[in-house]
Amino acid sequence: MAELGELLVSAVAAGCIYGLMALAYLLILRPTGIINFALGEWAMLGAFAAVAASGDLLLPALQLPHAAAFAVVLVVTGLIGALVEVATVRPLVERGAPLLSPILALLGVLVVGLQVGTLVGGTEALPSPPPFGFRRVELGPFAGTPQSYYTIAVTLGVFIAAWVFFERTIWGKRFEAVAINRRAAALMGINLRQVGLLAFAASGMVCGVVGMLAAGASGAFYQMGLPLAIQGFTALVIGGVGRVEGALLGGLILGLVEALAARYLPIPPTLVLGVPLVLLILFLLVRPTGLLKAREGGA
Amino acid sequence: MTAGEPLLAVRDVTRRFGGLIAVDGLSFDLAPGEILGLIGPNGAGKSTTFNLVAGALRPDTGSIRLAGEEIAGLRPHEVARRGIMRTFQHNMPFEGMSVTENVLVGAHTRMAQGLGAVLLGTGAARRAEADALASARDLIRFVGLDEWRDADVATLSFGQGRLLETARALAGKPSILLFDEPAAGLTPDECDRLGGVIRDIAARGIAVLLIEHDMRFLLPLAHRVVVLNFGRKIADGGPDSIQSDPAVVEAYLGEPGDAHAGATDA
Amino acid sequence: MMSGRLRSLAGWAAAFLGLSAVSFVMASYPLELYQKMLLVVTLAIGFNFLFGISGQIAFSHIAFYGIGAYAVVILSHRLGLPLAVALAGAVAICALLAAVVAIPATRLEGFYLALATLAFAQLFIVAVSAGGKLTGGDEGISGYQLPPLFGAKLAGAAYTPVIVFVLLATLGLILRFDRSWFGRACRAVRDNPLAAQAMGVDVARTKIVVFVLASTLAGVAGMAYAFLNNFISPPIFELDRIFELLFMIVIGGTGRHAGAVAGAILLYSVQFAVEPIVGKFHPLIYGLVVVLVILFAPKGLMGLWDAAAARVRASRGRAP
Repeated sequence: MAELGELLVSAVAAGCIYGLMALAYLLILRPTGIINFALGEWAMLGAFAAVAASGDLLLPALQLPHAAAFAVVLVVTGLIGALVEVATVRPLVERGAPLLSPILALLGVLVVGLQVGTLVGGTEALPSPPPFGFRRVELGPFAGTPQSYYTIAVTLGVFIAAWVFFERTIWGKRFEAVAINRRAAALMGINLRQVGLLAFAASGMVCGVVGMLAAGASGAFYQMGLPLAIQGFTALVIGGVGRVEGALLGGLILGLVEALAARYLPIPPTLVLGVPLVLLILFLLVRPTGLLKAREGGA
Repeated sequence: MTAGEPLLAVRDVTRRFGGLIAVDGLSFDLAPGEILGLIGPNGAGKSTTFNLVAGALRPDTGSIRLAGEEIAGLRPHEVARRGIMRTFQHNMPFEGMSVTENVLVGAHTRMAQGLGAVLLGTGAARRAEADALASARDLIRFVGLDEWRDADVATLSFGQGRLLETARALAGKPSILLFDEPAAGLTPDECDRLGGVIRDIAARGIAVLLIEHDMRFLLPLAHRVVVLNFGRKIADGGPDSIQSDPAVVEAYLGEPGDAHAGATDA
Repeated sequence: MMSGRLRSLAGWAAAFLGLSAVSFVMASYPLELYQKMLLVVTLAIGFNFLFGISGQIAFSHIAFYGIGAYAVVILSHRLGLPLAVALAGAVAICALLAAVVAIPATRLEGFYLALATLAFAQLFIVAVSAGGKLTGGDEGISGYQLPPLFGAKLAGAAYTPVIVFVLLATLGLILRFDRSWFGRACRAVRDNPLAAQAMGVDVARTKIVVFVLASTLAGVAGMAYAFLNNFISPPIFELDRIFELLFMIVIGGTGRHAGAVAGAILLYSVQFAVEPIVGKFHPLIYGLVVVLVILFAPKGLMGLWDAAAARVRASRGRAP
């Protein structure tokens, strides 16, 4: 039982990371219809920013307190998102290029991000000390590292903020209006430019949160982006692209399935890596109607 | 075709959307060379009927027979393969292709050679390709787009796009051609041109079914008109007789640009 | 008519001889690069048919390249089947797996197909890495070789004709298909599936046939790769390479055969040109160039070529 409690905490923490990645996709997908494959690399860059700001490996002089480091990471990845939107996506959208064009351009951004990450951080994994140490914290039947609890708490905070944004603010309503019908939203006086810019910047900041949390858990590594990207859209597909809560739900399901498969499935550990992929394929094939419906809303 | 069987026989067709009955027990016939107009107020079930015949929708009950063969419930490409081709209300060209290539896609169902024959470049495959090209050129000339046959379809005007759709549908050598509001968005000149093309098509023995809002376009053109209201047929007859039909007048009452007014203008 | 056919046959023969012959004057390192480039061009031609002409954003092309390579090596050297049987078996495996992926996956629209095929490609890498003795795991498989053909050892420059044959056969087959009703149906499905359907095109079937065809051709190229230096391992078929392939098509001019060839040669060669400047970071250049191309020359190199040709024609027309 104690073992299961420990497993659950780490699985939920991992699921939170996947859910955040799914949210990052969603923030762009809903108002623009664009799936941004580069998000994993943004999270990777966020992790390197976290190492640089808080650790002593990249910029020994800096060593900011955790809250300040977190803010720096959010600014960095938020700027990356905004910059990419202005430089690559906006010109294509305004030219009326097919949706495929920005998606392909973002694949280019992915490769650029990967190379920049390698240039900055090298090909060795950089450790980043977890902000709250390595202790084992027991809460009733549950046990885990402070980083796991911290990840869960931060994720809840982000999702509550996202929920409030979409449900309670005028900006959230604008996002939804654009998601439902771009032309009509524009005619109603909603500034599509602002919505697009905000979507990419917010998505970048969520990637920054992922980078920050992932760095605290397992450091920064130049190849960490692609797995995060794949796990993120797996969570998105599981939870459905229609709602913010779906992203968190999908992430948690994925985290739990992954952890339980690794613990209880009688297959070699290297094959466990394939479990989320199989899950993704299954969900794509079994629930395509739900997906298509949501896609029309997003396009 | 068995003796006495019409080319197209729609019988007691019903289609519901949730609680709404879009088409309710509809029956009508269509003969070769006939131009049949399908009209009715908004929401009368014209588009649903069109989509049922084109295979885009499946009827809940009833039958649709083409030359005696049941086609209700077939998918659109299967319906096309049996000789019912269509145009779209909003032009749907293949944007990456030239005018000629667009029309050649219309001949898809006439290209019987398998991929093996294509790969080997057999004589039959080459001849089929050459024949399709020749007849595509004929059709492009027929609708008056000869000058633009190698043009990118993006350079065509809306009216030319409608003519291209017509030629593309004809390339399948259909026995029935369906037009979905062909006059919508056309200038009066373009309407005249298209009306002439439709008459020529019918003169070749092809049956034409069109749904249309513009009575000035439809009434001089159609040989027969079926009027729908709330999914039911309320009149079926010559353009002159339906205009004086009290049920039709009542159905259109209060609709601006209605059948009666439109007809007297025309 | 006949002379046209003969002339075209002579052209293919000349291309075969020319592309094969140059490799006999090359040193071993450039030779290896040349052979690999020919296979990249082969992959690009097939991927252009799948992505550029048929509009399927499928990230599984490199995976099928790997499946072909692994299948032929496992069948011939792990299971000891005769080479001809192994080749036929590998083709069958590629086609079968492609059909298994395509039949459900081609129902998915747009980038959901991309997600499914991306997951499939990653699954292939996971499976091969975890395949134990059968696939050699992370180390891959080495130490096998082709049996001699008519007493000649098919290695080094003598192997180039095999690769050139695969390249030209792929190109010939795809050109034949593309210039027929089938190619038009593929483009129609890409441009407007609804209208294609109304013209009698079976959209689902067309997508499946294209996917199986292109994936199997990628598998055949993979079989040729397997004996290029008699070594295969998971990193050779990593997911990153599909992005490069995609960039080659986009930079060359999406949907254009000549563009696929030009884009492949350009991107493949550019890494050696920029290596002294940026070292191992040549993908950085790919990424930047592809973004610039999408922004400023969306029809790629072929679009620029067309524009230049039109300008030359116009100035010639004015001159006399």
